[in-house]
Amino acid sequence: MERVLIRTNRLTKRYGSVPVVNDLNLEVRSGEIFGFLGPNGAGKTTTIKMLTGLLDPSEGEISICDYDIRRQPTQAKALMAYVPDQPKLYNKLSAREFLHLISALYRVPKGIAKERAEQLLGMFGLMERADELLEGYSHGMRQKVVLAGALIHQPKVILLDEPTVGLDPASARLLKDILQEMARQGAAVFVSTHILEIAERMCHRVGILKDGMLIAQGSPEELRQKVGHGGESLEDIFLELTGVRENAELIKSLEEE
Amino acid sequence: MKMIIPPPLDTPPAEKSFVQDFVLLLTNQLRVTLNTLKHQRKRTFIGMGILMIVFLSFLISMGAISYGMLKSMQPETVQGFLSLFFLVGLASQIFFGLTAAFAALYMSEDLELLFMAPVPLRVVFAVKTVSVLVSNLLVAFLFVFLPGVFCGLLFEAKASYYLLVFLSGCGLWLSGTALAELLNLLVMRIVPPHRSKEAVGLMGGLAGVLIALVFQIPGMMLGSQGNLDIGTMLAGKEQLIHVMNFFPWGWGSLALTSGITDSFATGLGWSLLILIFSAFLFLIALILLERGFRQGFISISQGDGGRRRKKRSVSSVDTTNRQQEKIFFGTVGQEQEAVVLPASTWAGMWAVAKKDLLTLKRDTREWFSYLIPLIIMAFFVVQFLFNASASSVSSLVMVLIMYTIMFSGNLALQAFGREGESDWLLNSVPLAGWPVVWGKLTAAVLPTLLLMEALLVGTSLAVGVSTSLTLILALAAIFLSLGSSAIGLYYSIKNCRYNPDKPQMRISPSASLMMYLINFCFILILGLSLCYLFPPAELVSALRMLPSVTFEWNVQSGLLSGLYFLSRPLFWPALFRISLGILLTGGLWSLIFFGFMAATVRQSRKGFRVELVTTSKNRLG
Repeated sequence: MERVLIRTNRLTKRYGSVPVVNDLNLEVRSGEIFGFLGPNGAGKTTTIKMLTGLLDPSEGEISICDYDIRRQPTQAKALMAYVPDQPKLYNKLSAREFLHLISALYRVPKGIAKERAEQLLGMFGLMERADELLEGYSHGMRQKVVLAGALIHQPKVILLDEPTVGLDPASARLLKDILQEMARQGAAVFVSTHILEIAERMCHRVGILKDGMLIAQGSPEELRQKVGHGGESLEDIFLELTGVRENAELIKSLEEE
Repeated sequence: MKMIIPPPLDTPPAEKSFVQDFVLLLTNQLRVTLNTLKHQRKRTFIGMGILMIVFLSFLISMGAISYGMLKSMQPETVQGFLSLFFLVGLASQIFFGLTAAFAALYMSEDLELLFMAPVPLRVVFAVKTVSVLVSNLLVAFLFVFLPGVFCGLLFEAKASYYLLVFLSGCGLWLSGTALAELLNLLVMRIVPPHRSKEAVGLMGGLAGVLIALVFQIPGMMLGSQGNLDIGTMLAGKEQLIHVMNFFPWGWGSLALTSGITDSFATGLGWSLLILIFSAFLFLIALILLERGFRQGFISISQGDGGRRRKKRSVSSVDTTNRQQEKIFFGTVGQEQEAVVLPASTWAGMWAVAKKDLLTLKRDTREWFSYLIPLIIMAFFVVQFLFNASASSVSSLVMVLIMYTIMFSGNLALQAFGREGESDWLLNSVPLAGWPVVWGKLTAAVLPTLLLMEALLVGTSLAVGVSTSLTLILALAAIFLSLGSSAIGLYYSIKNCRYNPDKPQMRISPSASLMMYLINFCFILILGLSLCYLFPPAELVSALRMLPSVTFEWNVQSGLLSGLYFLSRPLFWPALFRISLGILLTGGLWSLIFFGFMAATVRQSRKGFRVELVTTSKNRLG
């Protein structure tokens, strides 16, 4: 039985009396790629922010690699990496300087950090501009720098929020390969995405969040069985479960005309 | 390239101490600062140099005044003087520190990254606090350390006295910063993240007004008393000085006066008390900060910053959306034939104006661009109230008229830059030309005119200008404002720019200067034609004494002859003179107004582009 690396127990976040995330129970195991899906405003980013310790939950518990994120935040964070949807970086640092900073923050020994930074810069095709300030980088290049920063400290858990936004097809493919390789090596990968094709092809299990509640979770096959239709795509299942089936039918009918 | 992914860690690496993490983050902050300096343009350094020279000259002159004042004071008055200085210093530190704390702890883009790193939050806050402290250093130096050193030099204090200056100065510096951080908690709670740039703009504007006021105070004191003597002011206020002794600024002054009078131990006691007090304040500030961020009381980037959202019934929202979709698609299906619907020009114009007016209403920084000129005008009004005389009535009205013109021009200058990164919208809709330009003019003129008319009429009535003249002034202000705004709009469409870091920078400085020059010419030309309508008695009597000019073929004679012929209508019968005046004024105004409007429309049809400028290098797409 694989070890559970991400676990939430009755996780709830409220703003005032309005619950944004409600009673969420999740388990992501070692070697697993978990797709976190949901319509806009479902509470995906709030959940990720709680998982990363950026936001305290109103109720419930989170453990990362068996460390409680509230009580042992530094231990949990040391084993975790987060790739946000908006790559916020130090504009006045170069990519190389940024990677060295991240290695130092995550306590990677200097020699190893230097070697690994060069490898990652090469892998993401950033070597030629590694000494330029990040303010001159495009969105996609900044996203690559964030990804390199997320990989440099060998995380056991990686959380990604819309990671393929702004990436060119080759880089998106590279990212998918990296995530699959990480899962193969025993890491837990938690991806929030709107691109259902990626989720279907890459994720071992998916969870669908709607209005802060987990309305379904399991492998794409399990979800198909749950919905009661065979051979449908994850997109159809998602639309059916999130209650926007009517929209899909409307669009389909318009396309047919 | 071969993909090399090292295997994930099973156990976290050994933790680092607070000091190690602090040094690491501080080093990073220094590297960022150094890189920022390295990549600055040369002209920025030149500007900084000029500013430094101006600042140093101000410092030297203020220092000489303060030193002079201290010389004439009794030792007991010196304590009150120091208390007052420290109080001003502390207040300034809170104010400027608040802006710095807000920027460092709320708007800083690295917060998410640092909070995610396996570094205790208190280290992150400690490093951010250092940056707030550094930004407060100048104020502390001016209002705390410098007066202390001056006192020591004047009273020939021993070397140990300067230790007290250092300790109590540090205490007051730390207290001011800690109080700023505490107040900042409240500001961060009130201001949602998406309005943080507005809040900083507002605080910056307030700081500007505050500095302007501070610069005005010595002048006002000199004007009212004939000299700048704080010593005399404090001489009879022993009770006030005594009350100040219960507060940190009073403790600071007590520490220094004890040092001067050779009671080093007492002075040390007071200095340590301030230091302990500041440490206590810092402790509370850091604890509250950490709790605020962790519990979502303060939000760093996304979400509603802890603000309550109204819960709507999900099913009703879904139903409404679906109904709207059906209506929309239904309509599209039914009216496929009518691809281009006839659009009303007025509707388009009003849509553009409404968009701008809503921005003006919803962005508090826009309010401030109205507030600053009003505050400056208030100075003129106050000055008039203190120095009322018959001649100053006309000069006040003149200032108000001039200000209406400049203010209108300046606000119209912002019109196209306001589009920012959304310039594509007005360029892509089928509205280019008159609808866009009239819309922009309406939005620029309406609020400005309402405000300035209210001020002009109010002030005119308050200072006793006749009703008929007030009405003429109000009417004139409308035409002047429209003309000036048309000039402003033209320069705006030709030179608009947008800086995401400083959204108020919407025009190039050279265009702004040019607009002011053209506006001056506009006033001058109108002023000449208005002479036919309201001939100034002094000018007419002076012209009567001029001998007749005979034209010769040279420049001097040409100029003189021109002026001579221009002055002749002043001696015509009133009916002809006034008719010519109306024709000329109306014609010149129309020429300038419609000329600039037509030029703006032409540019609008060609398409306008808001130049994207950043304080940093442009990002590559």
